[in-house]
Amino acid sequence: MAGRSQLPVQIMENQTRFDLNAAVENWRNELAAQPNLASDDRRELETHLRDAIAGFQQRGLNDEESFWLARRRVGQPQQLGEEFVKANPTAVWRERVFWMAAGTLGFGFLYFILAYTNETLLYFFSGYRLYETTLLWISMAQILAVAAFLATGWFARQSPTLRWFFQTRLRLMVMLVLVAAFQSVIQTEVAALGDIDGIYSNWPFSAWTNFLSNAHWFFPLLVLLVWLMPAQNQKTPKRA
Amino acid sequence: MYKTAMLTKDLVAASSKPLLLSILAGGESYGYEIIQKVRELSGGQIEWSDGMLYPVLHRLERDGLIESEWKEADTGRERKYYFISSDGRRALKTERRQWLAVHNSLCKLWKIKPVSI
Repeated sequence: MAGRSQLPVQIMENQTRFDLNAAVENWRNELAAQPNLASDDRRELETHLRDAIAGFQQRGLNDEESFWLARRRVGQPQQLGEEFVKANPTAVWRERVFWMAAGTLGFGFLYFILAYTNETLLYFFSGYRLYETTLLWISMAQILAVAAFLATGWFARQSPTLRWFFQTRLRLMVMLVLVAAFQSVIQTEVAALGDIDGIYSNWPFSAWTNFLSNAHWFFPLLVLLVWLMPAQNQKTPKRA
Repeated sequence: MYKTAMLTKDLVAASSKPLLLSILAGGESYGYEIIQKVRELSGGQIEWSDGMLYPVLHRLERDGLIESEWKEADTGRERKYYFISSDGRRALKTERRQWLAVHNSLCKLWKIKPVSI
């Protein structure tokens, strides 16, 4: 865990200077290690911690004192996890299934892009067609590389931009349908290149039928994603 | 002045719903502000553990008594604000009647002037 490996460094630094941002970052990592806290809960707790720190600072305490007091006020991460899951036992699982479905869809799309790009580039540069199995292995290796890249935290740093897509259910749905439609059009175009029998000549109808014939896995995932979308960005509540 | 004891755990748990609904009936608010308000109102006698407030808020939200929204505060930071719903206002009325009934019974027993409901 990144948080744990930073700890010794931070303790050494403490003797000279207290880094408030690093301390909050560590705290956040500790919280993230709690399996029972959904990301919205963690975000809410973090705003609370920051408010509490600011409150103590206003009363004249220094950064370090403010942080430790605020941290104590908010409570032990493990205890927080237990209390939160009691209040809403399904929330965490909704989020997990959401990301599993998102991962499946993302994997499918990435695989599609990579497989076609690989095949086209290889054919273009060498005039050589690889076996489908070989292509599959190359694509999988590339997906692994992308996954490793995402795991470095790049994805998390982009979250303000990416969050936009998850702000309303409509936006999420439109984005997914556009991605699927794009995939379908490309697929049909590529198929039409090697089309001898003229099956694909009636584009865009062929793209549409191709889309529908591949939709058996797409639509269930779409419904699941839109339904389970993390509740953090609900519609503007009606004020009573 | 005699020393006043802190509220027992049971009483804190039971009173959290009417307190939260009453605070939110007075306008939208967020976790940190709510805690400060309760501390201030009770003169420090009701000490809520900060992290425990959110499960209670989330439960009220799931029951449809309050609603929430992430909004940007003046400081530029986003906070999750809570609002009372119309169901919440109805629930608050019931809570109010019940708590005053308990309060007035105790007042009569202790010979303190009761309040009108």
